[in-house]
Amino acid sequence: MGKDEIEAAFPGLIKGGFSITSPSTADYNCIAWAAADTGNWWDPHPDYFWPSGIPRKYSVEAYIRAYETLGYTLCSTADYEQGYEKIAIYVNPDGEPTHAARQLESGHWTSKLGQIEDIEHETLAGVEGKEYGSATAFMKRLKN
Amino acid sequence: MSSASPTVLPRKKQWDSESISLGIGAESDRIIDSYQESMYHYYIPVSRQLENPSIRFTMLKRKWEAETAMSSSVTEISIHSAYQEIIGMGPIAIPYILSELRQKPGHWFWALNAITGENPVAPEHRGNIRKMTEDWLRWGKANGY
Repeated sequence: MGKDEIEAAFPGLIKGGFSITSPSTADYNCIAWAAADTGNWWDPHPDYFWPSGIPRKYSVEAYIRAYETLGYTLCSTADYEQGYEKIAIYVNPDGEPTHAARQLESGHWTSKLGQIEDIEHETLAGVEGKEYGSATAFMKRLKN
Repeated sequence: MSSASPTVLPRKKQWDSESISLGIGAESDRIIDSYQESMYHYYIPVSRQLENPSIRFTMLKRKWEAETAMSSSVTEISIHSAYQEIIGMGPIAIPYILSELRQKPGHWFWALNAITGENPVAPEHRGNIRKMTEDWLRWGKANGY
């Protein structure tokens, strides 16, 4: 997908700025990419990957528990903190998780957009809006 | 299962890292899409397009891909109206779906499962799109597709 089409879907990226950082692929989704897993599509659906023992539900609680299996814990802010990795979970107005982004060393964020490319965006607001709702839950873990 | 040979319409080029470096990307895909669409309209009247399963499948697939590209939820991707229409085509859609999977892994598993009532994906392959694809292609071969 072209940069202009991505900007059309996420107008917030025009202001915040972004770059495409991978070819398009359906091998993994944003939930997997936030978990740094490019080998699986993470989804609560019974035929897809989901961490063992975590409820297969499209709920924020289930997604939080999924990331807890990787050592992440809830935190109150998305602000960059030295020594920590952070992820943000986006939620739509119906309360369903729609997207996840992972913070980079630079303080910017990396997102996999559905079945297309990965992008690097300066702010979480860049992909907020009609498609993904808003970044609602934040989690962090100590960097290795 | 009976076998069938689908008439597969020309496929647009995938945007890979090589094409990025050559400056060929989404714009050329759009040109190819427009060309294909104009050919359909030129050669086949719109009223007859939906009677041809190959064209019907291709049109529904395009709509589905365009409208679910940003989604990461398998349920959202699979309950899309165009995807459900493909499921509604029944067994006639199977060769087209398997042909798609041969060219590019994608989320066709729900549809195949709904149409065939089978699920050949090994539990340890769940979520690994490439291995899930291989499992379904193996099923296709074993069932004459």
